[in-house]
Amino acid sequence: MNPFENVIFLAAAMATVAGFYIQAQEFIRSMIRGQLIQSIIIAGIVFILAYLESSPDLVILGILVLVLRGYLVTALLERRIPGNESYVYEKGIGVASHIIMDLVFIILATFIVFSLVFSGIHFSISGGIAGSTIIVFPLAIFFQGLFLIGSRNTTFSQIMGYVEEENALVLFALFIIPVPLIIETSVFLDVLALVVISSIVVMEKFSHEPMEELRG
Amino acid sequence: MIGAMVNVMDQYLETLLMTLTQFLFVLLAAPLFSGILTRLKSMVESRKGPSIFQPYRDIWKLLHKETVFPNNSGTIFRYGPYAIMGIYSLISLIVPILVPVPIFFTASADFLGGAILFSLAAFIKLAAALESGSNFMTMGAVRALSFNFLSEGTLITVFFAVSLITGTNNPYVTNSFLSSNPIQGISLEHIFATLAFLMLFFYETGKLPLESSGLMEMGMIEEGMNYEYSGKLLAINRWSSHIKQYILGSILLNVFLFPWFLQSSFPWYILDIPIMFLKWMLLIFIVLVIETSLAKMRLFRIQDYLATAFAFSILFLIFGVVVG
Repeated sequence: MNPFENVIFLAAAMATVAGFYIQAQEFIRSMIRGQLIQSIIIAGIVFILAYLESSPDLVILGILVLVLRGYLVTALLERRIPGNESYVYEKGIGVASHIIMDLVFIILATFIVFSLVFSGIHFSISGGIAGSTIIVFPLAIFFQGLFLIGSRNTTFSQIMGYVEEENALVLFALFIIPVPLIIETSVFLDVLALVVISSIVVMEKFSHEPMEELRG
Repeated sequence: MIGAMVNVMDQYLETLLMTLTQFLFVLLAAPLFSGILTRLKSMVESRKGPSIFQPYRDIWKLLHKETVFPNNSGTIFRYGPYAIMGIYSLISLIVPILVPVPIFFTASADFLGGAILFSLAAFIKLAAALESGSNFMTMGAVRALSFNFLSEGTLITVFFAVSLITGTNNPYVTNSFLSSNPIQGISLEHIFATLAFLMLFFYETGKLPLESSGLMEMGMIEEGMNYEYSGKLLAINRWSSHIKQYILGSILLNVFLFPWFLQSSFPWYILDIPIMFLKWMLLIFIVLVIETSLAKMRLFRIQDYLATAFAFSILFLIFGVVVG
């Protein structure tokens, strides 16, 4: 591995660790900050790839990640915390059990998807970074987002899970194939619009019980 | 023929001297590092603090006191501390904690054997606590059991990680492999195994943010299991704790964090004593920064802390080995 490849692997691993942090948090504000850290790490990866490829498109993408995901989404969600108090939290979260369950879920899900779909494919990632193993990180983050949505009741947590899944897709797109900037930008704006709409839902309803929307 | 025999005898004597040096160093110097840490911590907290030799004085004082047993205590309670001391003494000859070449008794166990010996010592300590006939000791044992299922799992997984990274479960080969590789060659599994082992070191030695060594009822785990011991047995338990701390800290330094600079040739191996001392100063500095900047976690939060260490130890190991 060259030093840049090491740094990218480590940064992708740190983004996965940030996912664990978000999963283990009871406090809403800390979860939002966790998402901010994850977005900054992803922006960092984009900037490294931009440097390696000398690509202005990737620089713009990195700035977009920082501004839209890092600043706007974070600011919008923080403003929607009831009463703007930092101590709003979700009750009854067993941190140890959530971490272990998340661990088991993402290992199994990533392993199954990777073995079935990606194991035979050899990617040539930007900057001469080759190999398919790096794909496990976006896959893991994606399943972490999914688990977050499934394991929590509050609307905030579910929005956070969705944003985490989107973060995973950004990483995924970066590692597999250089997606045109216009598509990436539209995805970011799409997510931003969804966060704005969801933050209205937060005001309407702070938490959701399982299957309650399906009752007749 | 005679020349070859002399050569073999020379090698035998060299190994014997290395073995004795490592064993005596671990036995005699282990309390010193605890003393230095306590003293430095006091200085950071603007207290004068005890002398760095206070652990020796405590052990000496306790060795000269009368040993009292509770009425209902059993055999394991009475003889457990000796067995634990023996196990830690054996581990001190198995892992590269001073001399980085194999010595006598090194072949008795590998990394996993070392982990199992640690688990055996923990089991004897728990069994002794349960045989004490004391509520406090039983409470300590129950608390330890509530957390050890995660810490023992992490310990074994971390040793699996280094075994798989280096292709061997011989700790001496691991040390040699890592010290001969530059820092760029260190893999993601190694970085996260190191982090997990550092977290485990804080738990196993009862350091903040998980302080379990004090006598406060709401947090005591280790002291809970020492509660009914007195005199000579308490001295042996304390000494064993110092040795355990030294062994875990030295594994952390020599196998995970900082495997470089150890001398293996005779007689230069003697330089390993000041080298290990300097390495321990680095570890003490890390511990000091963490201990003086974090508040104590509540008792039931220890599981969360250990679950995080377990996640660190296993996630990237599986990603690296199974998927990769």
